Amino acid sequence: MPNLEARLRYDALAQTFHWVIAALIVTQFALAWSADDLPLGLHKLALLARHKSFGMTVLMLAVLRLAWRLFHAPPRLPEGMSWIERKLAHATHAAFYVLLFAMPLTGWLMSSAKNYSVSWFGFFTWPNLIGKNDAAFTALRNIHGILSWVLLGLAILHVLAALKHQFVGKDDVLLRMLPFTNTQRRP
Amino acid sequence: MKSTKTGMLHGLAASALMLTNMTAMTAMTVATAATAATSVAAPPAMYGVDAAKSELAFTGVQAGAEFKAVFHKFTADVRFAPEALASASFDVLIDLSSVDSQDKDRDTTIRGPDIFDVAHWPSAHYVTRSFAKTASGYRAAGTLTLRGVTKDVPLDFQFTTAGTGAKLVGTAMLKRLDFGAGQGDWKSTQWIADEVKVSFSLSLAPKP
Repeated sequence: MPNLEARLRYDALAQTFHWVIAALIVTQFALAWSADDLPLGLHKLALLARHKSFGMTVLMLAVLRLAWRLFHAPPRLPEGMSWIERKLAHATHAAFYVLLFAMPLTGWLMSSAKNYSVSWFGFFTWPNLIGKNDAAFTALRNIHGILSWVLLGLAILHVLAALKHQFVGKDDVLLRMLPFTNTQRRP
Repeated sequence: MKSTKTGMLHGLAASALMLTNMTAMTAMTVATAATAATSVAAPPAMYGVDAAKSELAFTGVQAGAEFKAVFHKFTADVRFAPEALASASFDVLIDLSSVDSQDKDRDTTIRGPDIFDVAHWPSAHYVTRSFAKTASGYRAAGTLTLRGVTKDVPLDFQFTTAGTGAKLVGTAMLKRLDFGAGQGDWKSTQWIADEVKVSFSLSLAPKP
């Protein structure tokens, strides 16, 4: 019953996107916070170089993931959810998609404004999106920072909501995104 | 008798002709020698740099991405003529504090003790030793002195005259660590490449 399975669970590709991007975002916070504590120097440069390469990876994955999403409806939400819970879930997921693009793009823009071109792990260099501009750099750095806190807040909400579904609602919302599990408990 | 006289006359004329020819030849030889002497002795045109229309820059690789920095202050005494390479010379003095990579944090680091150390070595100096013609232009052998270290750095360039001035466009490759431009952490080439490309496009104006 592939159709039913598709409706109950995210497919392998969607799960891969979800968990790879989640792991990258955790790495991004670790790199950014470590770099923030360092004085200007080679170590900071190295951490930020990694941060930029991972960030551009997220951007490329975000493009693929959005393309996937446009042609695949996600599994339906459980019947028991209230109207406000559904709205909140959809809004959170939509915001994630926006941030998957906004975070790397503001990062890429701020690097361009500081005239520090973004390399992808040394393999190739992304073109600068804008010219050298100190005011734009400062503004973009602030936006990038604020968005990172929004992302962190949403991620916490997302995790708490998944745990609530699992342990309070006792539905399959968490399991359907977990690999190596079955979603047979409740359709 | 008549024939003898004619013969003598002929002989005289021939001698006179020979003499004339010899004189002309001698004169030509002398003239050629004089011309050659003039072209060796006369120094090639002397030029200075029109700073507003010139650029002296280097391109480094930082975390896999290139960055370009220019020097706003430098002087160059250029003595060059394509037909007198033996007496050509470049003497370039660069004010290292005038480095501009379009980011003041990076500029501060470059000027700092671990890279250029401008407090101790405010300028870099390039002097040529010899010149050679190449397929696409010229190659100069010369030395760069940076941070008190003097090393050979060849230049490849093209020279074109324009009115009374000239245009000098070229590149050079060097290794920053040869000059100690990278101390402490900056000795690592994992994030900052050792190879640095120097590029210049100089607008030359005649210098008295």
